[in-house]
Amino acid sequence: MKTFFRLTLLGGCAAAIVAAALCIGPTDLLDARKLGELIAGAHRTPELERAALVLWELRLPRVLLAAAAGVNLALAGLLLQSVFRNPLAEPYLLGLSSGGALGAVAALAAGATATVWPALAGSLAVAAVVLLLCRRRIAADLPSLLLAGVALGALAQAFTTAIILRFDPGAMRSVLFWLMGSFAGRGWPEVWMLVPAALVGCVLVMLLHRPLDILALGGESAHHLGVRVRALQIGAMVLAAILAALTVAACGTIGFVGLMAPHLARRLVGSGHAVAAPAAAMIGAGLTVISDLVARTLLAGTELPVGVVTGALGCVFFLALLLRKR
Amino acid sequence: MKPPALSAKDVRAGYGDADVLRGISFELQGGEVLGVIGPNGCGKSTLLRALTGLLPLRGGNVTIGGRDVPSLGSRERARLCAVQPQSEAPVFDYDVRRFVLLGRHAHRSLLGWAGPSDMTAAENALACADLRELADRSVRELSAGEWQRALLARALAQETPVLMLDEPVAHLDPGHRHDVHVLLRDLARKQGKAILCVSHDLNLAAEFSDRLMIIEGGAVRALGTPEEVLSDKNLQEVFRCQSLKAGKNPYTGRAGVFFAS
Repeated sequence: MKTFFRLTLLGGCAAAIVAAALCIGPTDLLDARKLGELIAGAHRTPELERAALVLWELRLPRVLLAAAAGVNLALAGLLLQSVFRNPLAEPYLLGLSSGGALGAVAALAAGATATVWPALAGSLAVAAVVLLLCRRRIAADLPSLLLAGVALGALAQAFTTAIILRFDPGAMRSVLFWLMGSFAGRGWPEVWMLVPAALVGCVLVMLLHRPLDILALGGESAHHLGVRVRALQIGAMVLAAILAALTVAACGTIGFVGLMAPHLARRLVGSGHAVAAPAAAMIGAGLTVISDLVARTLLAGTELPVGVVTGALGCVFFLALLLRKR
Repeated sequence: MKPPALSAKDVRAGYGDADVLRGISFELQGGEVLGVIGPNGCGKSTLLRALTGLLPLRGGNVTIGGRDVPSLGSRERARLCAVQPQSEAPVFDYDVRRFVLLGRHAHRSLLGWAGPSDMTAAENALACADLRELADRSVRELSAGEWQRALLARALAQETPVLMLDEPVAHLDPGHRHDVHVLLRDLARKQGKAILCVSHDLNLAAEFSDRLMIIEGGAVRALGTPEEVLSDKNLQEVFRCQSLKAGKNPYTGRAGVFFAS
């Protein structure tokens, strides 16, 4: 009952954050009368027409995209933490996001405009190499696997930087801004890519909640309890890589959400994936939407990359964790 | 004729290039407790890993209830054989009841919530392991002994005909050591379970096992009743300790092991 109450409370908070993010911005939509008329669609004055354009074509896709990105990163983090039995595992740290970014940047350098498939290829390649190292017993234990992921991520980042240096200054600036994570200039096409991915991710994690609970106990125990360990590890890694890659393709690399959201979810509702997954999804959505709100409103006339805000939040989060442990 | 609950024939397995198990054969019937003893590194835990399909066999075969272990599906295997591992460190937080309920995974459908039979099995397992009072506590708050009992409860919740335990009482106080071994003997006698128990406590193994198997260098050194197996020669050669002497428990009359100096 306590868990259900906390989940409901989390849902309410996430909805409130989404509503606030929809209303707050250079075009103020906080006026209740204006909002009512907008939704009713009556008395279209020029002012209302402009407000409607801002809401439906700018604010709503942006907020939905931010929420879906948060859900995807949170679920990817939750999956990776269960596979690696490590609360520090997340797509950014493990190189899945960096692999996706490398794929996307390489595609842009080659003149391609679509970044989704290259990003998917990059993330899946990192996941495949990590799993291959495990299979070849080069990194047989989980801490070694985690280190392998970190090393591959660093390599992918190095290659990405090398490729970006070949761009002209204007392109370099826009690619760097995108790489640091941004929801600016994104629209409904990205929303239609990321929202279904988030929904499918939620459903799959919920379906696999008990095997994932058992996998988090360790491979040997999971084997004895009747879980197909290898298949589940591969499936979870691939799902995490896909969620991370789609997020990178849509809005760049956004760090720490995949770390903070599952951690907070476990503290609030417990470690069982049946409750931790929806909680992490809602916290992830809330974190990215609020980070985006801060990113676009903190400095007048300019916009920060959302990755900068989540990075700062991550730093505060880590320090708070350290202080609590003391 | 009913097949043995657990059978190993010329089992060979190992890590890397080295063979750890060099042709181990034995049979275990339902209702029987087999104690597996031997010095550190002789292959006791490796034997459990090979018997449960965790370590691929390099030779020989293992059957549970007459069925080849490698041919069993993972859930099917978990319905036939439960294992209490020697060690497992909880990384994430579960309460003890939920942790024990995970032992019911193989009995439940993928989407199925815990039904009355699952809850009953978990509650019985909690009671057997003397954990009812701690059922709502986090597993990360348990002492080493309580955690070991939680691992036992999870294995019991699987309700399997074969139960394998890797040093199940290593961290327990004498009272709980005794209780766990009485429980294992009762499970064999009353429920017909076949129990294989790896132990370093030779006296408890001798007291509560129907047969003992000494492993030395990855092979069976001796297999028989505790009285047959626990000889001065076997003990002193296997454990490389001249002070070890075989004797009898003055209270129960069962075989026992003593330090002569």
